[in-house]
Amino acid sequence: MKKLRIWVFYISILGCWFPLLAQEETQESSFKKEVLKDSVYSSKKATLSFRFGLDLYRIGLTQFSNDYNGLELVGDFKISEEFYLAVEVGREETTKQSEQVNFTADGAYFKLGFDYNMYENLVGLNNQVHLGLRFATSNYHNILNKYTLLDRTPFWPNSINEITNGYATGKRDNLNAQWLEFVAGFKVEILKNIYLGLSIRLNRLINDTIPENFDNLYIPGFNQKTDENKFGAGFNYSLTYKIPISFKKK
Amino acid sequence: MKSMSNFNIKFFFTLICGCFFFTCEKDDICISSVEESPDLVILLLDHQNSEIRKSPLGFIIKPIGNDKEIQKSSDDSLALPLNLQEKVTQFEFIQNSGSENENIDTLQINYDRIDKFINRACGYRANYILKPPSAIILNSGNNWIKGFIILKDTVSDEKAAHLGILH
Repeated sequence: MKKLRIWVFYISILGCWFPLLAQEETQESSFKKEVLKDSVYSSKKATLSFRFGLDLYRIGLTQFSNDYNGLELVGDFKISEEFYLAVEVGREETTKQSEQVNFTADGAYFKLGFDYNMYENLVGLNNQVHLGLRFATSNYHNILNKYTLLDRTPFWPNSINEITNGYATGKRDNLNAQWLEFVAGFKVEILKNIYLGLSIRLNRLINDTIPENFDNLYIPGFNQKTDENKFGAGFNYSLTYKIPISFKKK
Repeated sequence: MKSMSNFNIKFFFTLICGCFFFTCEKDDICISSVEESPDLVILLLDHQNSEIRKSPLGFIIKPIGNDKEIQKSSDDSLALPLNLQEKVTQFEFIQNSGSENENIDTLQINYDRIDKFINRACGYRANYILKPPSAIILNSGNNWIKGFIILKDTVSDEKAAHLGILH
C-alpha cells in the first residue's frame, strides 16, 4: 500500500511535467527562428536555469530491497556556463548484516556545493561533464538489532546464539556526521528538458559522532564507513527536469 | 578546443567506469590476534596462606551441562569458560578423582555480562563482572574447598587471575 502511494506520487510528478512540456514546444516552434538567430551571436552569454529531480537508484533500491528505504531529491542552478550550484537532500533507512552485527541506520542528509562543467555545449544545450565538490551533513540514529559474540572456539554450544535484546542492543540517538564529497559525473538531455545523470562521489569524512559502544558502520548519505578509514564512496543516478524558463544574465 | 572537450569526455567516462570497481566492498576479516570473550582464570591456593599456590591431588573439573573437557595448562591455575547466555555457570571440582576418597564440590560462579564493541569485522566481545556472592558451593558437608578470594572482579582479559580457590 505504501509503495503504491509512492508510485502514485512519482507518476503524478511526471504528469505535471507533460503539460508544461507541451506548452514549451508550441512556444519553441513559433519562436524558433528568432531564437536560433539570436543565440548564435549571444552564445557566450550565460543563462540562468534551474533543474530539479530525483535519484533513480535510491528509488529502485527501495522497490527491490526489503532492507532499504530511501529518497534523494537533487537540484542544480546554473550560474554561468561553467558553474552550477548543486544541492541534494535525502533520507535513507537501511538494515544491514555486517559480519556478526545486524543494525539499522536511519537519517536525513543535506549536500550543498557546486559542479564545474567541462563540456562545451552547442548553443542552448545544458549537457554536462562535470567535476564538483559538496559539503554534506547528516543527522541520523542507529539501532543495533542483534549480534553474536566473538567466540572462535565455543565451549558452550549456546554461545553462538544471537543476542536479540538487552546488553548492547538498542537505539543510539542524535548522531551526526559531516563530510566532503568530490564529484565526477555527467548529465545528458534525453528528452526536451529532461536530463539523465550519473555521478560518482568520493567522500572524505570530517567528523562523526561515535555511537556509544558501537561504531558508525553506515552513515545515511555517506554510505558505508570502513574501519580506520576516513574515505567512502557513493553515487547517484539522477533524472532531472529543467524548468523551461531561462533568464538571460544581464 | 573541440578536441579538448572530446578528450575530457573520454577521460571522465573512463574515470566513472573505473570508480565502479572501487565501490566494491572489501571482505571484513576479524584477525586472529583480536582477543575474544575471556575465560575466568582461577588460582588454587593454600587456605592457610593465600599467597601460596597449591595444586590438589587427582584434581579434575567437569562443567555441568557440557561433555567437553576443560584444558588444564597447569594444576594450580586454569581458565574456566563461562556460559555467555547465562548469568551462572556450574562446575564440579573433583579431588582425588577415581580413588576411594573422591570428593566432589559443586561450584557456582555468579556474574553479569557486559558486551564491548571491538570493530566491524569482529563485532562484540563479552566481559564479565563477578557478582557477589561470586562463587558458592552448592553441596553441603565435607567440602574440600574452604573458601574463595576475589582477585579481580572484572573479567576483561586472561592476563591475570580473577578468582582464588582456597583449599
